Amino acid sequence: MSADLLLFTTINILMAWSVYIALSAGALTFGASAFMAVGCYVAGLLTVKAGLPMLPACVLGAAASGLLGFAFGFPALRVRGIYLILTTLGITMSMVVILENIDFVGGTVGLGGMSGTTVWHGVGAVLVVGAALWWVSKSPLQRVLDAVREDDEVAASLGMNVVFVKLTAFAIGSAVAGFAGGLYGHYITYVRPDTFNVLISIYAVMFVILGGTNNFWGAALGASIMTILPEQVKFMQEWRPSVFALTIIVLLLFRPQGLITRRFLTLKLGRKRP
Amino acid sequence: MIAGQIINGLMVGGLYALIAVGFTLIVGVLHRINFAHTEVFMVGGFVGLVIAQAVPSIPLAMVGAFVVGGVLGIVVERISFRNLNSEEASITAALSSLAVGLLMLDLVHHVWGSEPIAFPLVNALGSGSLEMFGVRFVPVQGLVLALTLVLVLVLYFVIEKTHTGRNIRAVSDNATAAALLGIPVKFVGQQVFFITSALAAVTGLMFALRVGTVNSDIGMTFALKALAVTAIGGMGNLWGAVVGGLLVGLLEAMAVHFGFGRLADLVVWGFMIIVLLVRPQGLFGSVFHGAGARA
Repeated sequence: MSADLLLFTTINILMAWSVYIALSAGALTFGASAFMAVGCYVAGLLTVKAGLPMLPACVLGAAASGLLGFAFGFPALRVRGIYLILTTLGITMSMVVILENIDFVGGTVGLGGMSGTTVWHGVGAVLVVGAALWWVSKSPLQRVLDAVREDDEVAASLGMNVVFVKLTAFAIGSAVAGFAGGLYGHYITYVRPDTFNVLISIYAVMFVILGGTNNFWGAALGASIMTILPEQVKFMQEWRPSVFALTIIVLLLFRPQGLITRRFLTLKLGRKRP
Repeated sequence: MIAGQIINGLMVGGLYALIAVGFTLIVGVLHRINFAHTEVFMVGGFVGLVIAQAVPSIPLAMVGAFVVGGVLGIVVERISFRNLNSEEASITAALSSLAVGLLMLDLVHHVWGSEPIAFPLVNALGSGSLEMFGVRFVPVQGLVLALTLVLVLVLYFVIEKTHTGRNIRAVSDNATAAALLGIPVKFVGQQVFFITSALAAVTGLMFALRVGTVNSDIGMTFALKALAVTAIGGMGNLWGAVVGGLLVGLLEAMAVHFGFGRLADLVVWGFMIIVLLVRPQGLFGSVFHGAGARA
């Protein structure tokens, strides 16, 4: 397995986790690529224009992305289900246009000159985020997340601050996507706004759906399978989107809970309508 | 000049409206978003291309797009919506239809590549042009405008005046009551998928005629904006979708007119986000109760 592939695998795992983290509090988001773009651009500007080293810049990029997630999430999380999908889609579509119209960051031409990501940064980030997710899954925090996700009205009646939990999860997910964006930008050295198009967000969600929505191993597995397999099998390389889409379709028909379901709680995507 | 932009905006808005009507009818009847809709719209252009290359007849291309689109709609219903019909599965179904859409997109990429293809016959429609309010109109735009009006009127007739339309309205008002009164709810769902997808495919062909090329990108770029239109007009509200489409087309044209052309997409999506936050049921209300959307 080449270094390229390993790095892209780790970035995809981070993206899948960014969706998983928000989803673990019940917020399905199609905004991952927008926050990836923010992380990438902030980190890129810090290294290219301010001369910061790569790793601190990526951390700051992730922080900026997380803050933005917090700012966007506060109004956005007032809506849910299908409406949240629409709102986050809107964020993704808007972010590309916004970046294209800021000449300071290169406009439609893009931003170049970043460098410095090695495979070990990617592996390290996956290990750190994975360890944090593993710790959360063993801690009482997971019960809070489960409660908020499964039925926020019951959770609220038990005294949990539902909005705060969702918002924090959304912001942390955004920060993870931002870090992935920073690593990505500093690896391929040149990005354009439409690098971060809506397909990135869609794929990130699909990774999670493929692997299973109720534990973090599933998201990582889904991302790994869909990144590594196409590179190894020539047939799949040509037909990657088709194979991916077909797998999702078949999986949702016969095993809607995803490949791995370790915990018993099911994720009811969305909410009963009144 | 501005009058010309208004007409232009209303023409684009008409196309938005035709796609948005498809989204909103399915939301009304099934309480689901059909993400494959955008790609059926895209496929419509390619079906038209295949027919136009074989037989130089635009009406035939329209009929072909209508039939293929409708059949695709029924296939989508079978794959993504029939088995995922529990109330909790609404987002699962949306994701499944999204995957179906991706599959269609990739298949089109494999057959025709990802570059735009020039549409034949466009020049056959006549090359004269009409100067009106400072904007030049070519005959094909007149054809698209006329077709949009005809399709909206036909749809109005079907929904408001026919037996099928009455069934559709009944199911979207209250599916349980409709079932109790003997309306075949599942069959109505199939009918809605056929009608909306056929309409989307024809609209895709009209879009191809208007811009003169067939392009596989338009599903993700143009048609997805119709989803924003649907939310603006109110999910499940038929006339909200039509008015919302015209409104968004007009807004985009105004953005272009006042020199914000590059921000046109932002105008649409930003407008949608604001509408969803301030008034989740959409500008014109909907059968999807806004209260249910609030967290």
